[in-house]
Amino acid sequence: MSTGNELEALLRPPATEMPPYPPKVITLASGEQMVVRQIEREEVSTLLEAIAPLLWVERDFYDIVAARLFAELLAFKRYRVVDEYCLVGLIDGVLAGIVNGREARPEVGMSYHTLTLRRGLRIGAHLFAAKMEYHIEVLGEKEVLIVAESPIGFRRWMIEYPLEKKSEVQHELGGVPSWVLTRETYLAAKPRLVAGRRPIPPELLETARKILLPEEETLRVQILGERGRAT
Amino acid sequence: MMDTSVYGSRCNACGKVSYPAHCVCPECGGGAFEPVEISGEGTVLTYTDVYALPLDYAQRYLRLGMVELDLGVRATGQLLDENPEVGKRVRVAIGVVRQSDEKRIYGLQFVPV
Amino acid sequence: MRQVAIVGCGMTKFGRSDVSLLELMCESSLGALRHADLGERWVDAVYVANMGAARLNKQTAIASALVDRLSLFPAMAESVENGPASGASAFKNGFLAVASGMANVVLVTGAEKMRAVNNLEATDFVASLTHPEAEYIYGVTLPSLAGMFTRLCMERFGVTAEHLAMVAIKNQENALKNPFAHIQQRITMEGILHAPEAVVNNPFVADPLRLYDCCPVSDGAASLVLCALDLAREFCPTPIRVAGIGQATDTHAVHERPDPTQLTAVHLAAEKAFSMSGLSPKDIDVVELHDAFTILEIAESEAAGFFPRGEGHVALEEGTTSLTGALPINPSGGLKGRGHPVGATGVAQLVELTWQLRGEADARQVKDAKSGFACNFGGFGNNVIATVLVREDS
Repeated sequence: MSTGNELEALLRPPATEMPPYPPKVITLASGEQMVVRQIEREEVSTLLEAIAPLLWVERDFYDIVAARLFAELLAFKRYRVVDEYCLVGLIDGVLAGIVNGREARPEVGMSYHTLTLRRGLRIGAHLFAAKMEYHIEVLGEKEVLIVAESPIGFRRWMIEYPLEKKSEVQHELGGVPSWVLTRETYLAAKPRLVAGRRPIPPELLETARKILLPEEETLRVQILGERGRAT
Repeated sequence: MMDTSVYGSRCNACGKVSYPAHCVCPECGGGAFEPVEISGEGTVLTYTDVYALPLDYAQRYLRLGMVELDLGVRATGQLLDENPEVGKRVRVAIGVVRQSDEKRIYGLQFVPV
Repeated sequence: MRQVAIVGCGMTKFGRSDVSLLELMCESSLGALRHADLGERWVDAVYVANMGAARLNKQTAIASALVDRLSLFPAMAESVENGPASGASAFKNGFLAVASGMANVVLVTGAEKMRAVNNLEATDFVASLTHPEAEYIYGVTLPSLAGMFTRLCMERFGVTAEHLAMVAIKNQENALKNPFAHIQQRITMEGILHAPEAVVNNPFVADPLRLYDCCPVSDGAASLVLCALDLAREFCPTPIRVAGIGQATDTHAVHERPDPTQLTAVHLAAEKAFSMSGLSPKDIDVVELHDAFTILEIAESEAAGFFPRGEGHVALEEGTTSLTGALPINPSGGLKGRGHPVGATGVAQLVELTWQLRGEADARQVKDAKSGFACNFGGFGNNVIATVLVREDS
């Protein structure tokens, strides 16, 4: 083994098999079908391209969420983080939202971020629930540690699941006191908060094979709230 | 001890009971009233579970109801019933209905009979 | 009383705005003044409709501020606050100023910048119109009053969740044709009610009302220019005559209403407006109702006299109230689709009717619309203003 590879092995975390998230499809209020699936490392570059413009959008905490998510996904791609996963929501193959997190230690998950690129269809709620599904049901964890950058958005989850305070535990995102979603609470809340159909029809999965970037015009209307062209 | 009861009013002139109170009797125009304690039993007229609550409330939802009271007026309050039904018999209780800053606010609650 | 006409109108796009309340008001006012094309004529009075500037935006006396921004001094000016009926109230006051002869030309601007605060604060702000001791202290919000009302309508008249969803779908569809509407999103019955995912897509807000049964929280402004009809004929190609205005109040606490399913103030206000105009509901071609909650479009359509009591949902089902139906209701998208900046709504309804009657409603134009009706619903129906507008053919 060359010196380069030895050094790389020092810095690269041990390779673990993250159990795959079984893809599902969700009917949105608009009638559109959103595919929720896990991504491969090769797809990170596409996501970074989608996230980059948001680094400068102060509105709704997009800038800090985008900056942190960008770093997390880059770390995942370059093998500098342990046991990270990322799920995306795709509508006709177009990226609508991204969620990520990692397994912090056996049976304990660390939720990272939720970023939505299409507003007004509860995509954030669907994707957040999907990642809780991944932590609890696929990874088999007992609890998931959660914080958020946006206070009002967080308050909704805090009350809806509900989440419990676990302030003695510092969350990786800035070391702030954590909140936790337990397995019991998740299972009780599941009928209300976790939706989607499996197995996903093969034709639908096919449309979601390649991640397409949203058009810039769409992003400006959705995220920046800029006035769309008058029809 | 603080009086936490809730009161409507009975018009001295025509006897009409109103809740909430008015300064002028809606029935006869009279201006003198006796307080009437809102209490006793009644029938649920309608109810709802409210989810989008103001900041004073940290719960997921709040059950509110409008009740037709036997004493002859209707009242709005918090419905403390796991199985609410239009037409169900309930009775008035008094409890903390809102916490605003440090203040505890007392008001009407309806419990199954 | 002189006859009064609307000679110009304008509005901002409703939704989420980055500009201040005053800037919103200026934008819509200038739009209406441009549309009116007054030439050398002066604005004698300015009426501003607004509910929350003092609380949400920490500003007061905003009518005077608007006069200043538009350099309309020394015009008369005042703000009018009547909860969600502020818009029509300001309009009514403007109408009276012209009808009485005290003013010849009046600018009416309704505006609200609600998104200066978060949604919970906005909900609490709107809840401040409820009865402080008999309602507010219990956590009563406007959606909760609408929820209790809806349950009663479902029990007594057979209104279903599907009927409510039909109103939402229709109005959001109409809003897609309205470049000024807040919501630009198609929704389907499958997505909001029938699919298993609907429980997440369309959760209860105040059951039986769901997310899509409630109008959004919006920023925005709308304006009208009123003028004495005689004067208007000198310069306006299509004056829209204010044929009738009616207003009525009801008990503050909703539980005190004699019949809790009856929108008495809507009924009385409409009756007065029709009586003053000499018209009846069957003469009306296009309607703007106050659908802060989808149930209210159905209930107001009955109380105003367009359909028999308890049958509004039947007309909806039959497509009568769709854009291409016999009596289109809320071609603009209503509050549900166009949005609800509280002080602006009453004015925006009349702006839409003005565009419709002038044939300027583009993709959502109701054919041959000659007369229109609007209902601005204050509180939970304890202060209602109804208006009848008629096109004056030159």
